[in-house]
Amino acid sequence: MTVAAGIGYALIALGPSLSLFVAVISKKPFLILTVLSSTLLWLISLIVLSGIWRAFLPLKSTTWWPFALLIISSVGFQEGLRVLFWKVYKRLEDTLDAFADRVGKPRLFLTDKMQIALAGGLGHGVAHAVFFCLSLLTPAFGPATFYVDRCPQMPFFLISAIIALAFVTIHTFSMVIAFNGYAEGNTTDQYFVPVVHLVAGMVVKSAFARCFCLLSQKFSLLRILFLIVLKNCQLSPETALVVFVWLNVLCHACSF
Amino acid sequence: MAQNQRPASILDTLGEEIVRIITPVSICMLMVVILVSILSLDDSSSSSAMPTIATIAYSETGSDSSWDKFMGALLNSLVFVAVVTAVTFILVLLFYLRCTNFLKIYLGFSAFVVLAFMGGEIALFLFEKFSFPIDCVTFLVILYNFAVVGVLAVFISKMAILVTQAYLVVIGMLVAYWFTLLPEWTTWVLLVAMALYDLAAVLLPVGPLRLLVELAISRDEDIPALVYEARPVAHHDSGSRDGVVRRRVWSERRNVLHDSGGDVNSNAILSGNAGSNLNSGVVLSVASGHNDTRLAGAEEGRVVEANAELSAPLIDRRMNDNMHRQEEDGTSENLLLEGIGLGSTGAIKLGLGDFIFYSVLVGRAAMYDFMTVYACYLAIVAGLGVTLMLLAFYQKALPALPVSIMLGVLFYLLTRLLLEVFVVQCSMNLVMF
Repeated sequence: MTVAAGIGYALIALGPSLSLFVAVISKKPFLILTVLSSTLLWLISLIVLSGIWRAFLPLKSTTWWPFALLIISSVGFQEGLRVLFWKVYKRLEDTLDAFADRVGKPRLFLTDKMQIALAGGLGHGVAHAVFFCLSLLTPAFGPATFYVDRCPQMPFFLISAIIALAFVTIHTFSMVIAFNGYAEGNTTDQYFVPVVHLVAGMVVKSAFARCFCLLSQKFSLLRILFLIVLKNCQLSPETALVVFVWLNVLCHACSF
Repeated sequence: MAQNQRPASILDTLGEEIVRIITPVSICMLMVVILVSILSLDDSSSSSAMPTIATIAYSETGSDSSWDKFMGALLNSLVFVAVVTAVTFILVLLFYLRCTNFLKIYLGFSAFVVLAFMGGEIALFLFEKFSFPIDCVTFLVILYNFAVVGVLAVFISKMAILVTQAYLVVIGMLVAYWFTLLPEWTTWVLLVAMALYDLAAVLLPVGPLRLLVELAISRDEDIPALVYEARPVAHHDSGSRDGVVRRRVWSERRNVLHDSGGDVNSNAILSGNAGSNLNSGVVLSVASGHNDTRLAGAEEGRVVEANAELSAPLIDRRMNDNMHRQEEDGTSENLLLEGIGLGSTGAIKLGLGDFIFYSVLVGRAAMYDFMTVYACYLAIVAGLGVTLMLLAFYQKALPALPVSIMLGVLFYLLTRLLLEVFVVQCSMNLVMF
C-alpha cells in the first residue's frame, strides 16, 4: 500500500529471524555460512520441485486433490533433504572435531551443535519467507493492495507475511528438533518434524474459507512446537523470550 | 551467559575471513540493487542508450527478433572482450617495462573519473528523482572533495582501512550501475563472455592475467591495481575477539609456511581459517589486478572507451618460495608487503572486477524481479565459496568470475522460467510449505 506498509509486511515475516540472526548468528561467522548454505539448499529443492511441477501448472483451483498432491510431494522432498543435510552435517562434525584436535581447541559442545542446527533451520525458514513472501511484496510498495479469492478478508500480503512468519518458526525449530532426534536416535522427535511440516502445509490449504480459524490453528500448533523445543534445547533465554512474545502477540492479534 | 566461562570453541572464529569478504560483496550488490530499483523507471528509454564500447557493433532495439538480439549481443561481447584483451596485454607490456609509476598515476586518474563523473551523474539522477534542493556550487565542492579523498584512499596505503574499503565498494557500485544500463541481451552475453575470458586469461599459459601474475611474483612487486583487501583476522593469542588489526610480522609466519602445507589439503572446507596463532590455515590471496577504466568521459558524450577488467586470479601464496625473501626487507615499503595477497596480514584480497560483475548480474536480475535477485545472490555467494574451496584444493592461481557468473546466470534462468510461475501459483492458492 505504501513503502511503510511494504516494510511492515517484510518485518512481520522476517522480524524474529532478524532478531535471532543478530543475537545468535552474527557473532559466529561459521553460523552465517551455515545459514547461507542452507538457504541455497532450500532454494535448489524449490527449483527442483518447480521443475517437476511446471508441466502441470496452472492447477485448477476448484479441485483440492492436485494441491494436496503438491503439498505431499513437496514436503516429502524437503524432509528427504533434511535427512541429507543431517548426513552432510555428520561428516562436517567429524572434520570440525579433527580440526579442533589439531589446533588444540575443545571439540564441539552441545550448544555449538545446536547452534549449527538452529542456523540450518533459520536458513530454511528465511528462504521460505524470502521466496514465498518477500519476493511477492513488490506491488505492496505501491499505492494499492491485493486480495485473493481464497481469503477475501485480509490483503494477500498480510496473509503471506503471517504464514511466512509461522513457517520461519517451524523450519527453524524443527531442524533443531530433528537433529537432536537423529543424534539421540529418538524416533518420536524424528517423526514429529515431518508430521508437523505436513500438517502445517495442509492446514494452510484446507481452511481457505475461514482465515482466522486457520491462523489460530496454525499458531497453537506453533506454540506446541515451541514448548517442545524449549523442553529439549537450551536456547538462550533472551532469544526464546523474544520469539515467544512475537508469536503470542500475533496469535492474539489474528484470532481477535 | 554461561558461555563466557567456557573456553572458546572453534566455532567462534572459523570462517571469519570468508565472511569478511562476503560482506562487502553483499553490500555492493545491495547498493546496486537499490540504485537500480530506484532509478530504473522504464526499460524502453534505456535501450536507446549512449554509444559505448559495448554496444558498438549492435544497438538493441525492442522490435528485433530474439535471434537477432542474440547475434547482436554476441557481436557486442566479442568486440568488448577483444578490447579488454588488447588493453590487458598493453598493461602487461607496461608492467614488463617497469612503467609502474605511469600505471599508478593512471589508476588514480581512473578512480577520480569514476568517482567524480559517474558518481556525479548518479547523484544528479537521484537529485532529480527526489527533487532534492541543492545548488551547483555546493554540489561541485562536495563532489570534488569526495572524489579527491577517494583517489587518496586508493593510492595511499596508510589510510584508515575502513575508508579505503568503503571507497572501493563505492567505485565498484558506480561502475556496476553503469554497466546495468546496457541493453539486456548484451549484458547477459557480456557477462558470460567475461567469465570465459577470465577463465582463459588466468589458466591458459598465454593468458595475459597469468603472465601479469607470474611477472609480479617473480619480481615480488605489487601490481598497481584496485584490489579490495579484507580486514585481517585477529588471532587468539592477542586475546581480543573484536577484530583488532594486528599486522603480523613476516618472520613469525615463515616457520610455519612449510608445515602448514600438509594441513590444508585435509581441511579443504576450512580455507582461510586462522584458527591458531600460527595461522596454519590457507593464506588466500584472491589477488587480482584490476580495473582500468578509461573514460574518455565528457558527461554529454558518455563514451565508455574501455573497461579493461583484470578479474581475480586467486593465488595461494604459501607455495611461493619468493615470500621468504620478504622478511629481509622487513619494514620496507608497504608496497612490497602488501603485494599480491602478500597479506603480511594473511587477509583475503579480491579484485574490484569481481565486485563489479557480480553486482552487474544482480542489478540486471533486479530489473526483472526481486525473486531473481535473491536467487542470483545466493548463487553468486555459493560460487564464491566454491572458488575459495577450489583454491584451497588446487593451490594455484584461479579466476574468481567463472563459477559465480555461470551459477548466477543458471539460477536466473531457472528462476525466471520455472520458479516464479510455481511460487506465484502456490501463493495465490495459499499453498505454502
